[in-house]
Amino acid sequence: MGFLTDLTRRVKETQQALAEPALGTKALATGFGITFKHYLQQQIKLRPTETIQYPEERREQFPRTRWRHVLTRYENGLEKCIGCSLCAGACPARCIYVQASENSDDNRYSPGERYAVKYEINMIRCIFCGFCQDACPTGAIVLRKDFELADYHRDDFLYTKEMLLEPAPITGLIPLTAITVVEPAASSH
Amino acid sequence: MSENKLTQTDATLNPPTTDLVNIKINGVAVKVPKGENIIESARRVGVDIPYFCYHPRLSKGDAANCRMCLIEVASTAPDGSVRKMPKPQAACTMPASEGLVVETETPAIIKDRKGILEFLLINHPLDCPVCDRGGECPLQNNTLFYGPPTSRFIEEKRHYPKSYPLSEHVVFDRERCIQCARCTRFTEDISGDSQLGFLKRGADIEVGSFASTAYQSKFSGNVIELCPVGALLSRNYRFKARPWDLLTQKSICTQCSNGCNIKYDYRVDKIQRVNARLNEDVNEEWTCDRGKFGHDYISADSRLREPLVKRGGKWHPISWTEAYALVAEKFKAAGSNVAGIGGANATNEDNFAFQKFFRETLKSSNIDHRLGAYQGPGAGPIFSRLGYHTTGTTIAELESAKTIFLLGTELADEQPILFLRVRKAARFKGAAIVNALDRAVADTTSASDFADVDLLYRPGTEVALLNGVLNVLFSKELVAAQDGLDFSGLQSAVAEWTPEKAAAETGVSAESIVRAAELLARGSVAVIAGKTVTEHAYYTDIAAVLANLVIAVGSPAGLNIPVTDFNAQGAADMGVLPDYGPGYTPVASAGLNTRGILQAAASGSLGALWIVGAELLEQYADTKLAESALENCQFIVMNALSLTPTASMADLILPVASAAEKDGTVTSCERRIQRIYRAFDISGNVKPDWLVFTEVAELLGGGAPYVSARDIWRDIAQTIPTHSSITLKSLGESGIRWQYAHPAPKPTVAAAPYKAPAAAGTSRA
Repeated sequence: MGFLTDLTRRVKETQQALAEPALGTKALATGFGITFKHYLQQQIKLRPTETIQYPEERREQFPRTRWRHVLTRYENGLEKCIGCSLCAGACPARCIYVQASENSDDNRYSPGERYAVKYEINMIRCIFCGFCQDACPTGAIVLRKDFELADYHRDDFLYTKEMLLEPAPITGLIPLTAITVVEPAASSH
Repeated sequence: MSENKLTQTDATLNPPTTDLVNIKINGVAVKVPKGENIIESARRVGVDIPYFCYHPRLSKGDAANCRMCLIEVASTAPDGSVRKMPKPQAACTMPASEGLVVETETPAIIKDRKGILEFLLINHPLDCPVCDRGGECPLQNNTLFYGPPTSRFIEEKRHYPKSYPLSEHVVFDRERCIQCARCTRFTEDISGDSQLGFLKRGADIEVGSFASTAYQSKFSGNVIELCPVGALLSRNYRFKARPWDLLTQKSICTQCSNGCNIKYDYRVDKIQRVNARLNEDVNEEWTCDRGKFGHDYISADSRLREPLVKRGGKWHPISWTEAYALVAEKFKAAGSNVAGIGGANATNEDNFAFQKFFRETLKSSNIDHRLGAYQGPGAGPIFSRLGYHTTGTTIAELESAKTIFLLGTELADEQPILFLRVRKAARFKGAAIVNALDRAVADTTSASDFADVDLLYRPGTEVALLNGVLNVLFSKELVAAQDGLDFSGLQSAVAEWTPEKAAAETGVSAESIVRAAELLARGSVAVIAGKTVTEHAYYTDIAAVLANLVIAVGSPAGLNIPVTDFNAQGAADMGVLPDYGPGYTPVASAGLNTRGILQAAASGSLGALWIVGAELLEQYADTKLAESALENCQFIVMNALSLTPTASMADLILPVASAAEKDGTVTSCERRIQRIYRAFDISGNVKPDWLVFTEVAELLGGGAPYVSARDIWRDIAQTIPTHSSITLKSLGESGIRWQYAHPAPKPTVAAAPYKAPAAAGTSRA
């Protein structure tokens, strides 16, 4: 019963406080005054803005920041990754899976004999230590500045080779010899 | 042969002699056997000398060509003064002698090693990231530990075409070769085919085969493991994984009955490669190509992953519950009119549960694991006379035999590891090899290359040949008198088989028969009979004469007629035989053997047949009988790995675990019990055979169910007296060869009748 009496007393006190208009107004004015002062100061540039309007604005990342991995390419469009699995060996979280295969002249992905046919990173496990980047003998795997890695489903965190690979330069991937120019058929028009 | 210059230098192979010498290695005084090479001696005191070309199992004749094991050596004169040799010496060819003082870590040696590695790396490409050897490469390791950080050679390295296909299994990267000669010495010393050699000279020297023909060997896979760089690589494993990607599980090779110790290297549920595991008693460190490259079936896509039932000629997946209900219904209806075939490829535990299910739950003894015409080991005449069923000699004992008699066998195919031991005995231990061959089967075998006598006999005349040999033994008085053995009966029985008569009958020259007899009379004989004998219509007669032979030459424990299937020995030991229960105890009423079962099935009178992994259509000698049996049997359930031709004729297929997916024990042809271990599961719906029998037995109201393979082993040890002292723990790393409990019976001599080929029919093989 003590609880109920206590509650009744506090409700009464609150009602009394609100009944005195001068007291309530003063407190409100003081509080909003601070907010308004800061707003004005910012508007007339008296003090710098620290808040970034994310996602409309994004903060510049440090040059050596380590976020999302990218599998890079050479200028001619060939993949730098040779599927050597050294990144997987160096990874302390064991989150990289590499499966290699052999290049052929007709089906060439990387210079040399070997390329990665599968390259998967489990982003939930990854701790972004960058050891894979250090271990890579060709500089294929690099950690870059894309930090927006949130997603809705666990499966979506399994980044495949297609997701990690840099987009190919338009001309690079297709060897010139493979392009055959098809003459437009004149008779159809 | 006996005074062979080539010696093997491994300490475990050549046990320390009493002739010890005092040497000093890095200031540590140690006594070592005289003549032991310094690499081995250094190991005794924990000093590591780097090397590439040295290998304890290869002859040292060609070694010392990598120059990696250089050491500084000084000798102590009788007056105590120490005299240093002016130049560094190769430790792998430096024999230990009294007063030798060895230094391995002097500044000069450290500089020498750096120099050698710098030289080796002049042309060795630095493509370690794409090399399959990277991560487990002796050149990588030695460079890291002993090599210079950089090279002064900036010139372009030499380039050759990459990945030249040397053989069906091996690719060769010439750029990477450091000319250590391990592979060439392997083909010469171990496999005996001498297929690889050095071509050209000087800077152009390269490993190759004669006239660039394919490297043909039954043991080519071993050079991949021997190569200290990534020059010789597996075609199968190429680019599949790096060493750190792989998980490893110990196992026993399933491809034949030799029981080679192997390890599966696998990723998730796919076997990537098979490497040999060291077992001095069995395979030393070798594998045959069948074993090294023949395990792809385990992770094949064709593996069955759920039970299948045939309805209206089509396969439908069903649950295990439904499958069990179907089996229970059919086997209950058939009563004891049921039969089981197979088990030669399953573990001892599977076989024990299999026979127990049939004998105790179904009250039927119609079980048999034998698919060939060979009806041993249960029915062989050897046991009553010599005290063992199949093999009297262990694999390791073969190398101490003075004479090895091979009869009717291409040993390198049938028993590859026995072949390597025979070859080792001939090459390193001075054994004489007598190689008798059915000329209808082959003119020559791998053993012909090093055999002292080749006997090419007419089909079906084995008994005449052996009687001829016995005749020579008696007439030349090469048979020593043995206690309590009366040879007079045998002597008079073979008296008519003079070498000339035997020669006329068999087509072998009389001189060869005499020569063979003389070699066999040297004592310590091992006889290995192969498929031509076991598949022979008159197998028992040949076995009887072979028994006479080993008794006459005084080696009653020297007869070997080894089984060929993976665990056929174990299946027989566990009692998957119609007439013998576990441990070869005769059963009260013998059931049908394989032929009887198939005949009953073909006539349609058999109620239900259970096939345990036996590929009847491919392996059974009488394919027509097998076919009609599979067609006419009322109900067939088969434990299978995949939908093989035999499986596709069954009514119900139960997907079972392969050797990589279950625990258990297997028994090799020399009766060695060894463990296999579960590595992975390809599916949660695949069960080991023993579990299938246990669960069905429970449905039909039979005995206490087993919960694990270990549980069954306990039961086996309690049931079979010869296995009673063996626990899974006591099997250890190298396994245990089970011994017959009774003392060996007194050998008895009994002449066997000779049936001329016309009457006997020719060899069935």
